[in-house]
Amino acid sequence: MDRKTLERKLNRKLEKHYGSAVQARVEKECIRMTGTLDDWGDIVSACAMCAKKGARLHVVNDILLEGAEIPKMRLPQVQDETLEGEKPDVLIIGGGISGASIARELSKWKLDILLVEKEADLAVQASGRNDGEVHPGVDLNKGTLKQHYVLLGNRMFGKVCRELQVPFQRCGQYVGFTKRWMYPLVWAYVWHRKHICKVKDTVILSSKELKKKEKNLNPDIRFAMYNPSAGSVCPYGLTIAYGENAVRNGAKVSLNTAVLEMESANGRIKSVLTNRGRIYPRLVVNAAGVFAEDVAEMAGDRFYSIHPRKGTNSILDKKAGMLVKGIASIKTIQKNTGHTKGGGIVHTVHDNLLVGPDAIETYEKENFATAQKSVDAVFAKQKMTAERLSERDIITYFTGVRPATFEEDFVIERGRKVKNLIHCAGIQSPGLTTAPAVALDIEKMAVEYLKKEMPVVRNEKFQPVRKAIPVLRAMPKEKRDAMIKQNPDYGVIVCRCEEISKGEILDALKSPIAVPTVDGVKKRLRPGMGRCQGGFCMPLVINIISDYLNIPPEDVRKGGSESVITYGKTKEAK
Amino acid sequence: MKELTCIVCPNGCTLQVEKNGEEWKVTGGRCRRGEAFAIAEMTNPVRTICTTVATSFKDVPVLPVRVSGDIPKKRIFDVMEEINKVKVTERLGRGAVVIENVLGLGVDVIVTSGILAEQGQI
Amino acid sequence: MQNQYEVVVIGGGPAGLAAAIQADKEGAKVLLIEREARLGGILKQCIHDGFGLIRFGEKLSGPEYVERYVEELKDRQIACKVLTFVTEITKEKEGFLLTAVNREGVSEFGARTIVLATGCRERTAKQVSIHGTRPAGVFTAGAAQHLVNLSGLMPARRCVILGSGDIGLIMARRLTLESAEVLGVYEVKPEPSGLTRNIVQCLEDYQIPLHLSCTVTRVFGEERLTGVEVMRVDEAMRPIPGTEERIDCDALILSVGLIPENEMAESIGVTLYPGTKGPVCDENFMTDVDGVFSCGNALHVNDLVDYVSESGELAGRAAARYTAGEQPEKVEIRPDASLQYAVPQMITVQAAGGEGESREVVLFFRSRETVRDADFVIELDGKTVFSKHYGVLRPPEMERVLVKLGGLDIKSDSKISVSIKKREAR
Repeated sequence: MDRKTLERKLNRKLEKHYGSAVQARVEKECIRMTGTLDDWGDIVSACAMCAKKGARLHVVNDILLEGAEIPKMRLPQVQDETLEGEKPDVLIIGGGISGASIARELSKWKLDILLVEKEADLAVQASGRNDGEVHPGVDLNKGTLKQHYVLLGNRMFGKVCRELQVPFQRCGQYVGFTKRWMYPLVWAYVWHRKHICKVKDTVILSSKELKKKEKNLNPDIRFAMYNPSAGSVCPYGLTIAYGENAVRNGAKVSLNTAVLEMESANGRIKSVLTNRGRIYPRLVVNAAGVFAEDVAEMAGDRFYSIHPRKGTNSILDKKAGMLVKGIASIKTIQKNTGHTKGGGIVHTVHDNLLVGPDAIETYEKENFATAQKSVDAVFAKQKMTAERLSERDIITYFTGVRPATFEEDFVIERGRKVKNLIHCAGIQSPGLTTAPAVALDIEKMAVEYLKKEMPVVRNEKFQPVRKAIPVLRAMPKEKRDAMIKQNPDYGVIVCRCEEISKGEILDALKSPIAVPTVDGVKKRLRPGMGRCQGGFCMPLVINIISDYLNIPPEDVRKGGSESVITYGKTKEAK
Repeated sequence: MKELTCIVCPNGCTLQVEKNGEEWKVTGGRCRRGEAFAIAEMTNPVRTICTTVATSFKDVPVLPVRVSGDIPKKRIFDVMEEINKVKVTERLGRGAVVIENVLGLGVDVIVTSGILAEQGQI
Repeated sequence: MQNQYEVVVIGGGPAGLAAAIQADKEGAKVLLIEREARLGGILKQCIHDGFGLIRFGEKLSGPEYVERYVEELKDRQIACKVLTFVTEITKEKEGFLLTAVNREGVSEFGARTIVLATGCRERTAKQVSIHGTRPAGVFTAGAAQHLVNLSGLMPARRCVILGSGDIGLIMARRLTLESAEVLGVYEVKPEPSGLTRNIVQCLEDYQIPLHLSCTVTRVFGEERLTGVEVMRVDEAMRPIPGTEERIDCDALILSVGLIPENEMAESIGVTLYPGTKGPVCDENFMTDVDGVFSCGNALHVNDLVDYVSESGELAGRAAARYTAGEQPEKVEIRPDASLQYAVPQMITVQAAGGEGESREVVLFFRSRETVRDADFVIELDGKTVFSKHYGVLRPPEMERVLVKLGGLDIKSDSKISVSIKKREAR
């Protein structure tokens, strides 16, 4: 279809729904949507209406939202010149799973790599706020980048997690069906997935076989689709591990660093301005998550749009962990609303259960606020999966915002107008699963590009193995005893719920990407993630950080620089 | 007649106080201590304060103290101000006096914990 | 064996200390294990007074109260390991094997009996369905108390307190004394959760408003808390739409309930009682796992430390006297709907005129509702065998009764029920 025909066709469709409020214009590199609507849901629907899966032309959303202000990106408070004049070979924007894994794969080469992340830690946004499922890819159709990478990524997980010393379990995924008449349909689906889509591990289990594997699921499940290759991993743990390994191999990570503008000329990014100085990179990798579109715009290469989609998960006490051993969900005949995978129950590597997520379109890219109705909706649904699931076991909940394109696929390619730019955008689910495979491809693209500009040689000293902080609670007695004899701090338990010692906390404070805040320690080791949610250990963690850094305890922060925990000494605070 | 909740002990009895000429009549309490409390409440309400004083020791930055006897309710914040001026520089033990006869009220501010005096703690 | 004890007490707070001392008085070989660096449990940070009125007839501060026990423990030279964390308990043929870690390494202890005095933890913001962002500035009352009273740090300048539990009320006064502004205490229930005297001396004395049937539903602020949303609730404690009000403040302090810590108890198969979230126990505070005793706030949440110490003593004594082997039969004590719970939940059978004649049993209970002019009644096989009159019974206030079992014939098929009976209803 030529551009004019397509444009006419799209506009006819739009007119039917939105009158003259919205128009589509088919350009050389994208389909640009313009107009004004007063409802974000309508904007998303209008754009989605014009998007075609797998098409080269992406939808770019320029429709104005009337009556609401789209919040600007939150910026770190720090302002300094620490990065001024830096000339990295590769500048990676974004310290989520994409950015961190790309940094690690690129560190196999003798390159000057700089990763900037605007938050106070890695994996603060989407990569820190998801359910950690390593997907088998059974829900995806052939022909998408998602599907291509999910198969590759899933297979890589065992090796990657071994090298990075990150706990990973192939616990299997079960999708239950309650209606027997659906069997032929599911059988055909499974056959297709297995033989055409090459998700080779897909099988159907009878209710009896299912019961043997997962005895607490809904007894009305007649049969289930089963993928033993599905697994679970700690998503922020993996991101931090990738980041640490990259740093060990020579990459630089700069936290609290936001990209503010770019200077481009002749289809090249000349310089990148951050709050910590101006950087002059040879090549830029855009792995900015929900802000990838904004980065693309700064570079003059915006040919896709991100529509943020938020979802809330609840975390259940370990006591409930035995309810589901793998990953379970149920398919009922009601239509799933929106683009959710329907949510499910995931048994995490730390033996908690994660329940969710739901999926709500939002124009607020950084609104991580939770709402009771999300928790309720998810529970109502997941109680059908496992009826003994109880809200009483909830210890906490969180909301993540997924960066989706209107094509609902990844954008992994070189800049279309800008030569020294690689996009790694639209990385929504199953972006955690795909990351190891995507990173390898981006590594190739980057090296290929750089080789035209400079000699690129292997980093002979590349060490693929990352040394994790020892987990004493998981050690056999003898080994734990020996460790404590070497370092008595390993014998001082600070977090009673998760059994974490002072020694482990000090290790985290000395790790390659040390984040000496209460949240930074929590993310690396889990104190504060147990059932008391930090009530007991938070004051102790503050003391350990304050002693280690030799700063007053009131200067210890929860996370970001403004997240003051205490306002000073009692007798002085007035 | 006025109704009060006795705060002498956790029972929290509801007391009725009435003035008969110069005499106070107190009813509703489970014990005698309530009577004294109720009369004081009507004439000169008193309270005790428990707080901390700053120390110069890193391991015990603040030390629990209290007043050795009741003080007038309206002087609570005055006494707090005095207590907040103190910085303990010796490893005082429980019962040690931090301020003698605070503001001339006839009571001392005393240490209520042995935490600072304990040796060899972590 | 050097590491073999007759009684191992886990937890060095008021319950554990009393248990260890009492077991020692009975002549048992005792070990006390405490995970923190100092003995005393939560009382270390409870610097307010009011402790010990029942036991010592004095108004003591928390440290003063508990240090009496710590000193007695030391005087008696009872074996004690601080900064030692029990990681595992396994049942052996005879008794139990405990694994613990401390700065010296991993060690093992043999125990004929175990007294669990592990205390309780606080319910968190997420457990009472507070939503919104996750800034710094949300504290449980206990964490705030630790910061103020032990670390000497100010967690708030202008705060809202959710929950009128005693620690919340105490913290309202404490923060006010340290010149913070407490804007109000919000309580979801139609009546306060804490003791009345604390409402008077912690809130009314300082003109801190108490808002009943109100709750905090949301917090605002990205890095540090900037405000909370409060709402009125209906009789079912559900927020009433349209009653949202935003209060600008810098901290939210939560005093929304305590939960007995029984993860260790559960790991050795102890059954928990839903009404208390503590173990099911008999009049000796022995759980349904023979040789495992429970006391203090791990057994059920107390509001007076004096009773915590008492339960510790009873458990410690029983543990010291415990002999393995066939245990006497027990029958259930059933509370009716007028009670939240009664502890113990089981009682040993006895024949009238038998050995148990002189037995006295301490019974703790909590009323479900506020009732005036009522009797606490124990019925054995349909016959009232004990009755005590109360002017008023309130859910926040736990009551204790001493019941003499003399002359009672408690058989293995006896039905024992406990209830609160209103007088005018009779």
